[in-house]
Amino acid sequence: MTAVFKTYSALVYAMAIVAGATLLWLMISVIGSVMMRNLGMQPAAWLFTSAEYGILYMTMLGAPWLVREKGHVHIELVTAALPEQARRLVSRLVAVACVLVCVILAWKGVELFLKNIARGDFDTRAYYYPRWLLTITFPLSFGIMAIEFSRFVFGDDLMHSGEAGIHE
Amino acid sequence: MEWYEALGLLLGAIMFLMALGMPVALAFLAANIIGAWIFMGGERGIGQLLNNGLGSLTTYALVPIPLFLLMGEIFFHTGLGGRMFNAIDKLLGRLPGRLSYVTVLGGTAFSTLSGSSMGSTALLGSLMVPEMAKRGYKSHMSIGPILGTGGLAIIIPPSALAVLLATLAQIDVGALLIAGVIPGLILATFYITTIWLQTKIDPDAAPAYDVDPMSITTKLKLLLTEVVPMVGVMVAIIVLMINGIVTPSEAAAFGAFGVLILAAVFRCLTWQTMKKSVVGALRVTLMAYLIVFGSATFSQLLAFSGASRGLVNWATSYDLAPLVMLLVMFGVLLLLGMFMEQISIMLLTVPIFFPLAQTLGFDPIWFGLIMLLALEISFTTPPFGLLLFVMKGVAPPGTTMREIYTSAFPFIGCSLLLVALLVAFPQIALWLPGL
Amino acid sequence: EDTVTAVHAFPETLIYTQSFLSFVDKVNEAGKGVVQIEVRGGPEAIGMFQQPDAVRDGIVDMVYTPGSFYGGALPEKDAMVASNLTAIETRENGGIELIDQIHQEKMGLKYLGWFDSGVCYNLWTRDEPSFDADGNLEVEGLKLRGNNVYNAFFTNYLGAQVIDLPTGEVYSALQRGVVDATGWTQIGLIDLKWNEFLNYRIEPCFFSTDLGVIVNNEKWDSLTDESKKILQDVAIQHEKDSVEALRAKRDEDFAALEEAGMKVVTLEGEAKANYLAAAREKTWERMKEVMAGQPGGTDNYDQLIELFYKLD
Ligand code: NA
Ligand code: NA
Repeated sequence: MTAVFKTYSALVYAMAIVAGATLLWLMISVIGSVMMRNLGMQPAAWLFTSAEYGILYMTMLGAPWLVREKGHVHIELVTAALPEQARRLVSRLVAVACVLVCVILAWKGVELFLKNIARGDFDTRAYYYPRWLLTITFPLSFGIMAIEFSRFVFGDDLMHSGEAGIHE
Repeated sequence: MEWYEALGLLLGAIMFLMALGMPVALAFLAANIIGAWIFMGGERGIGQLLNNGLGSLTTYALVPIPLFLLMGEIFFHTGLGGRMFNAIDKLLGRLPGRLSYVTVLGGTAFSTLSGSSMGSTALLGSLMVPEMAKRGYKSHMSIGPILGTGGLAIIIPPSALAVLLATLAQIDVGALLIAGVIPGLILATFYITTIWLQTKIDPDAAPAYDVDPMSITTKLKLLLTEVVPMVGVMVAIIVLMINGIVTPSEAAAFGAFGVLILAAVFRCLTWQTMKKSVVGALRVTLMAYLIVFGSATFSQLLAFSGASRGLVNWATSYDLAPLVMLLVMFGVLLLLGMFMEQISIMLLTVPIFFPLAQTLGFDPIWFGLIMLLALEISFTTPPFGLLLFVMKGVAPPGTTMREIYTSAFPFIGCSLLLVALLVAFPQIALWLPGL
Repeated sequence: EDTVTAVHAFPETLIYTQSFLSFVDKVNEAGKGVVQIEVRGGPEAIGMFQQPDAVRDGIVDMVYTPGSFYGGALPEKDAMVASNLTAIETRENGGIELIDQIHQEKMGLKYLGWFDSGVCYNLWTRDEPSFDADGNLEVEGLKLRGNNVYNAFFTNYLGAQVIDLPTGEVYSALQRGVVDATGWTQIGLIDLKWNEFLNYRIEPCFFSTDLGVIVNNEKWDSLTDESKKILQDVAIQHEKDSVEALRAKRDEDFAALEEAGMKVVTLEGEAKANYLAAAREKTWERMKEVMAGQPGGTDNYDQLIELFYKLD
């Protein structure tokens, strides 16, 4: 069992590392295309397109890690006003709602991904890029986010601290 | 469903979920699932929601923000920022709140280049806030001016939003851009006055540490070794932009790269600082972009369900005096601005507001500028202004929502004052383009 | 009474959207008590590039959009892009019927009409264009703004240094000299204010706009025959009306541009023929390539070209 947890954890971090590398790639791709352009060369269009797609990959691959880090900003208003017991309950209920949202999006994400394959959909920019290569990130990201949020449903660690304000 | 029922349902859902403590991005997604189910024909609407998110996240306009954040983070973690601000502190002597002034001046200068409020806030926020917190500035002295100058970016030319507005409204782009210059500078002056007042009212807001007097040569040496290199990176980017070598969206990459090189030259670039910088920039970006993913569809649901158009049509359906009508339109923009993204607001309101403004006898350039100011304010209005969340991401741990809101208010007040001035003296906007 | 919901790809103030809205008005007038179109908005209601999927999935019943926004699913739209005919002739010769049939087969959509056709594209430059000894356009050193509609032509034939930029960034890119030339339709340059920086129009024009109305098939089948007839008849009439209206608008725009100092430079003889041939052939090449990878293959290729292009 611990081996499963370890592998899973490694996956969450590996996805975050890819997200970080993508952030650096944004810088490199922009500099690359500007340099090529100013040297009188045709900037490779994939440099431009990869930056656009990179934003999506970065956001989707990094989002589950940020759930683990409690980095998705939330506002504590009700949870700050409630007594301890009620606060714990509300916090877990909110986490349940988050799991639900993520499960729905993961499920619709699978459908979308399968539909893109069945229809042979392309994203048409400089290139014709298979759409499923983009939409596959939805089930992956929202699926793992659902697991990460469920840790705040069942685990000891709560999402809400009880202090008023925006929290990270 | 009537427009006000749709509006009530969508806004009610999002406000309820956020108040309950659901992460902002998830609250948007949940409200979208409900909205898509009702207005977009059940289950298949949710697939559309994902398609929309894909569309809103694969745009080049989002490339600069993480890179500006990265630039600021490298600057901070390598200690380059600390050195530069120490030097500026010493050079400026005893002036209370000096780094707040530096923020406004730097922010105004930066706004003249950047057309993006988010980019501007991301850069200034990650550059200044951690340094100022370290020096004992109260958070409103750093957060407030940055939120303020972030908004300046869309008034002072060049501004992508102004170009888009002029294109949609079919008014003179050049005139609208130039009309923003004087009001932008007036606004920056208001900001400086606000800071001065804040340090007068609360002398503890900014640290009042003394600085030893220095000789001219020491000052010069300090300037050359600590300030010039960093400012040089900024100047280099500006020159690249002015010469058309890079577009404003590309400038951020060179900023980050320039600071990297500078850090390498000053021998303060380690794997550890690099890792910290990327993680820091990544955290804020991911948080903000998952909100972008959710909120783009939320704007669309408000439009598609007829809620926002209903509101706009209803508010403008009364036969009122021109000044009251202006206030109504301004109010509608502020209200929509709390929940919708800027470009959607423009697409929705321009076809209704500009013909109306014309029948009321308003100058279209002047009206366009007032509209931009409303959009600028909406970026920083609680509860949903995206800049507030970006700011939260870069602010020191423990900064509360209330602190960020109260920091923003005086600067929103400045913008409102400017609008009042523009109404009283339209020449502030129209003099320069009329030359 | 049948109700058809609709969205349009471009902002409401744009001339092409105004054309679509006048079509809607005509339908709603002719269809009183029978069929009504309910416009939900433009890109603020459903994102520009998500609209084709939305109508396929039945989230909205009708969309007014360039075929190029769903070119991945329907490469045959390039027959319209490269066309030198208008909807009037291609409605008569059965071209639009074939396009409709392909829409039904490949996307489950009814192709109701090709509006605003007969508007073509020009190259617009800041500096006076130069020509080689044979009269061909010299693109060396030209910083040309492109997008995926014309890149097949610009890059593959002209060999130009193409810079991809979203439309919203072109104004400031021209201002700063990031680009100094762009392709654009004959109409609309003034609305975008690009004429502040561009001083030359290169003739001949090439390509055609490919804006059309697509309707979800299930929705279409659910309509009464009377509703279908009204929608189709009004659409065919609007195909004709919009050609006339936009020609008038083009002449108006050209006159205003000339007034403001826009100069016209024309390719002649063989150079002109080569230029036009390249514009269509590079685009057809792209169409054939993508068609080949889809079910049905290139079966319709020859017929499409015959129906949508008239060689002199
Ligand atoms: Na600006
Ligand atoms: Na807002």
